[in-house]
Amino acid sequence: MDKFMYQCIAEIKRAIRNPYYVFWSLFVPVCFYFIFTKVFTFNESAEDQALWAAHYLMSMTTFSVMGSSLMTLGIRMVQDKQQGFTKFLKVMPLPESIYLISQMLGQSIIHIFSIAVIFLAGVLINDVSLRAVEWMSSGLWVLLGSAVFLALGTLVGTMNKVETASGVSNILYLGMALLGGMWMPLNVMPSFLQDVAKWLPSYHYANGPWEIIRGNWPEWQNVLLLVAYTGLFMVLSIYIRRKQEVV
Amino acid sequence: MDDMIVQTDQLSKTFKQTQALCDVSFSVRQGEVIAILGPNGAGKTTAISLILGLLKPTKGSVHIFGQDPRYIRVRERLGVMMQEVRMMDGLTANELLQLFRMYYPQPLALTEMIKLTGLSEADLKTKVEKLSGGQRRRVNFAVCLAGNPDFIILDEPTTGMDTTSRAMFWKTIHCLADQGKTILFSTHYLQEADNAANRIILLDRGRKIADGAAADIKQTLSKQYVSFRIHRKLEKAKLDIPDILSVEERDQRICLETKDTDALVSYIIQHIPDAYDLQIDKGSMDDVFKSLVQRSHADG
Repeated sequence: MDKFMYQCIAEIKRAIRNPYYVFWSLFVPVCFYFIFTKVFTFNESAEDQALWAAHYLMSMTTFSVMGSSLMTLGIRMVQDKQQGFTKFLKVMPLPESIYLISQMLGQSIIHIFSIAVIFLAGVLINDVSLRAVEWMSSGLWVLLGSAVFLALGTLVGTMNKVETASGVSNILYLGMALLGGMWMPLNVMPSFLQDVAKWLPSYHYANGPWEIIRGNWPEWQNVLLLVAYTGLFMVLSIYIRRKQEVV
Repeated sequence: MDDMIVQTDQLSKTFKQTQALCDVSFSVRQGEVIAILGPNGAGKTTAISLILGLLKPTKGSVHIFGQDPRYIRVRERLGVMMQEVRMMDGLTANELLQLFRMYYPQPLALTEMIKLTGLSEADLKTKVEKLSGGQRRRVNFAVCLAGNPDFIILDEPTTGMDTTSRAMFWKTIHCLADQGKTILFSTHYLQEADNAANRIILLDRGRKIADGAAADIKQTLSKQYVSFRIHRKLEKAKLDIPDILSVEERDQRICLETKDTDALVSYIIQHIPDAYDLQIDKGSMDDVFKSLVQRSHADG
């Protein structure tokens, strides 16, 4: 148990010290948030503007957490493999499962921090006011929903080269953010892109809190698709890993 | 047996078509310092990977402390340093060492790890990814000692070390051996094997071609020559000298191979009065190594 706790703490330190994390998961979302709610405003009425401020806050929170889930775990796994650490770990009395689980758990604690920072930015920049239960449930949704991107990360983690892994993660990350409506609302996009979005995990991930801030429950398709994608990514990544081990 | 640390039985590994290791059997007793010696590609790393349970043997078996090397209980008593491992980046050397100590039931004190590996205060504060190659080796060595291991396995430990770190490293190894620790390391330098180990296992092309006390291996195989010049033409066949192993003519010198140079010199002085410019050559360690390897090629 001690091993596990210390490993988690070490993982949190590693994540926080990663400059990419600070830039992509804290700085970029907060900047975007400021620019698209303060500098450029398209809304006529104050009511629309308030809704937009809350909506875009959720877009940026999901964007941030999706990014660090996708960009950290998978690339780290490839890096460890390439640098001989994965092999070295096998001669250490630390089970590989503890190493992996503590990475995921450490990552989740970092996510709580990201969510808190971005929510706070929303309050400070735009006076976003939600009911306590709305803050809590959207935060929780963002945290738990990130499992799908962690699972996708482990799939990326089966690749052999850091360059490929980070290239692929970047494309997935930015592509899903754009097409999933995290950067701009879906209804300003052409209709065929809106159809694509309906099949992306990023859209279903962000749609949960979008519904919550409007006083609704997330749609059942959101839950269903996220769970299905998580399962699919996990099965694929376990399957590929097994195949690689045989050699 | 209680003091048996490692036991391998007909250990073999085939990668696709290449046989990397073939029927290697040996055992290691507590307190031995063993060098696995061989040229590059002899199968040293394969042998070590098999011993550690990182590779599955194609044939044969290996036990450490009488158990499967992959058991956690075995790993808790093991210290390993492998080639080219980069540790978790983002942590300082100090944090990394502290973390690794947590993995073991009876870790070595941090001060002891630092003393043994010669890490400096500044090294300890440096992030792992910013360490130089030499510093990284030291950190890896410190990690290897983190659990105060009974059995230490080192794969080509001195690669990438400068002369000073190398000397310091072997001093530490001697010190650990004096504490009764069992040490197994691979190297392709005969000099290192001879200086540091009390037993050498020689590998070539995946086969064990010699196994014995370092001094014995050297003794039986080291070539010694007495050579001299002579004005007249000397017919090899007519040389009637006792106890010589071979006769050669090289650069206008008569070269005699023997096991006892003293006796040969006195014989030459007495029986070949016109011999001049006498020289005694002891084959270098690397000659021994080459001759062993060549001999095994001739046999195979």
